[in-house]
Amino acid sequence: MLDFKPNEKEIEKIGKFSIEEKNFRIENLKNFNSVGFPNKLVEDWKFSDLRHIVSKNFAKLDLKLKPSKEENFDFIKDFEHNYIVLVNGRLTSNSFQHEDNSQIVINPYLNKDFSNKKEKNPLINLNYALSIEGFNLEVKDNYKFNKVLVIYNLFTKDLNENILNSQNRIKIGKNSELHVFDYVINKSEKNFFNNVYEDLYLAESSVFKNISIQKNRSNGFFHKFSKNILSSKSNYSSFIFPLGLKFDKLDLEFNLEGENIECNLQAASFLNKGDHQEIKTRVNHLAPNCKSYQKVKNVIDLDSKGVYQGKIFVKNIAQKTDAYQLSKAILLDESSEFDSKPELEIYADDVKCSHGSTSGSVEKDSIYYLMTRGLSKNESVKLLINGFLSEIIVSIKSKTMKNFIEQKLLSQIYEH
Amino acid sequence: MLEIKNLKASINNKEILKGVDISIQPGELHAIMGPNGSGKSTLANVLSGKDGYEVSGELKYQGKDLINIPIDERAQKGIFLAFQYPTEIPGVNTNNFLKTSLNKIKKARGEKEMDTLSFIKMIKEKSNELGMNENMLSRQLNVGFSGGEKKKNEILQMKILNPNLAILDETDSGLDIDALKTVAKGVNSTRDKNKSFLVITHYQRLLNYIKPDFVHVLADGKIIKSGSMELAEQLEKTGYKGIN
Ligand SMILES: Nc1ncnc2c1ncn2[C@@H]1O[C@H](COP(=O)(O)OP(=O)(O)OP(=O)(O)O)[C@@H](O)[C@H]1O
Ligand SMILES: [Mg+2]
Repeated sequence: MLDFKPNEKEIEKIGKFSIEEKNFRIENLKNFNSVGFPNKLVEDWKFSDLRHIVSKNFAKLDLKLKPSKEENFDFIKDFEHNYIVLVNGRLTSNSFQHEDNSQIVINPYLNKDFSNKKEKNPLINLNYALSIEGFNLEVKDNYKFNKVLVIYNLFTKDLNENILNSQNRIKIGKNSELHVFDYVINKSEKNFFNNVYEDLYLAESSVFKNISIQKNRSNGFFHKFSKNILSSKSNYSSFIFPLGLKFDKLDLEFNLEGENIECNLQAASFLNKGDHQEIKTRVNHLAPNCKSYQKVKNVIDLDSKGVYQGKIFVKNIAQKTDAYQLSKAILLDESSEFDSKPELEIYADDVKCSHGSTSGSVEKDSIYYLMTRGLSKNESVKLLINGFLSEIIVSIKSKTMKNFIEQKLLSQIYEH
Repeated sequence: MLEIKNLKASINNKEILKGVDISIQPGELHAIMGPNGSGKSTLANVLSGKDGYEVSGELKYQGKDLINIPIDERAQKGIFLAFQYPTEIPGVNTNNFLKTSLNKIKKARGEKEMDTLSFIKMIKEKSNELGMNENMLSRQLNVGFSGGEKKKNEILQMKILNPNLAILDETDSGLDIDALKTVAKGVNSTRDKNKSFLVITHYQRLLNYIKPDFVHVLADGKIIKSGSMELAEQLEKTGYKGIN
């Protein structure tokens, strides 16, 4: 059993901090050390026993902080873009060549808000305690990006049972618009654990669109907590395609703080070879007339597991809320598992909320039909899986993006 | 082309086909009629190789035993089934599917695969012949197609894949009068001395257009009577009770 209890001295190795920050970090470290990695007895982790997963896959967890150099990697050539590069979570370079640079702030970032004293999530405690600098990106008011921003998340070859903690923040000003393409490139051949805390703030009438995908299968174990604050008339949309991650938990909180907000989250993944993927959301409708939409689709093969925990909270004043949530899974093998826990907590009376969840095997009749047209069983199943997942891709508006994602997803399916 | 002898088929220990004999020569068109639940679709399924049936008896296609050949290989060898209830397949684009299917079958036959341009041209021609709007083919396979549109899509596939033995399971049910004529024309245009058809129907009307060489009556899992077109005419008058 791996006993991971970092010493307070690890905090000093990260940098020199004010007394306040140091105490904040020490406090959070104590919290983490008192409970350790959560196991399945903790409600939020009941389908993803992280303690078990970590001790099964790691002999040690190394906090080494020696900054890694940027390794060579291929930039995306399919579409023009701005970029920032994160190496093991640390901001190393950026280019906003398609933009008016006076409208953008980009710099290394560490959270300086020490007000959260009661954090209960041990992974956030761990991050608060030991985080290094990630990036801060601010888009000023009334600025719409001309081209998409690609965030290259590079994980280096020298990683070997390391645990990385970093923090990022994105803030979009009033009437501004940013499209982000989150691209994870993994060079590590050994296991590593990446624990990220992210803040996103959308000011009034701003637009944020995001697509996340991995370039390749990875030995990474990922946890990300993302706190999203949306102001009135803002528009958030995110398409997530987690592919080939040994463990991945996305814990997303949305606070819809103003009126007429649209919040749209869709995910499609093909899980195999023991992948474990959880998406957990909490959408807080705190003001009237907002719309939230969530759709999660999983195809789950050998020894793999998909989890979706989605909670919708509607405050009493949040009348005319329109909240939708659906998860669907196809299980390809007896060893595949899908767990879903939808939750509604509604205190307003004039709302439209719906949720649903289905899981099952590939339709036998569909396989039969396709086979009578000459396709092999394997080809039929792949075509059906692709059809199942492509429903999410189809709703991406940009054609270049759509093609790019489709290729990536297809190659995953056809490789298997 | 096809030799069926004493063919029995059960599903979940329930015997549905109780010894069927039919022999179809190249170039012949056979019609099968029979009451609801008599086993017509079951016969079509067993011929196309559907899993789940306990099958015994003899089944020979082009002189070779068929019983242990999987579904996709039968299709590649030229057996085609037009479904009574075509399956809706969400997320699968009809055109892409048709092209994949055609090239799979061409490949199995040792023919050159078709490139996208010639495919588009061919599909446009063939769908227009059937009075289908080719825009339909950029939709998801059979999803939201009307009953008649689904049936036409089956015939379109038959025309594209060019099988040696086509089994049509109630393709005429649910078609309007004009569509029925178009479908019959579709069948007639592909008839030649090397191709055979097994046409399952409830109505003489279709047979008026496609002129079967033989008509069989399947009742309770057995062929109880075989004859010519006149048998269909007699059935129309007397119903199945009038036989035997
Ligand atoms: N999976 C099954 N399990 C049990 N009984 C079945 C199954 N499939 C078919 N049957 C039964 O077998 C019989 C024959 O069915 P089949 O579909 O072949 O009839 P049919 O002649 O095509 O009828 P119709 O004219 O209504 O299309 C029916 O009584 C049907 O209920
Ligand atoms: Mg039938």
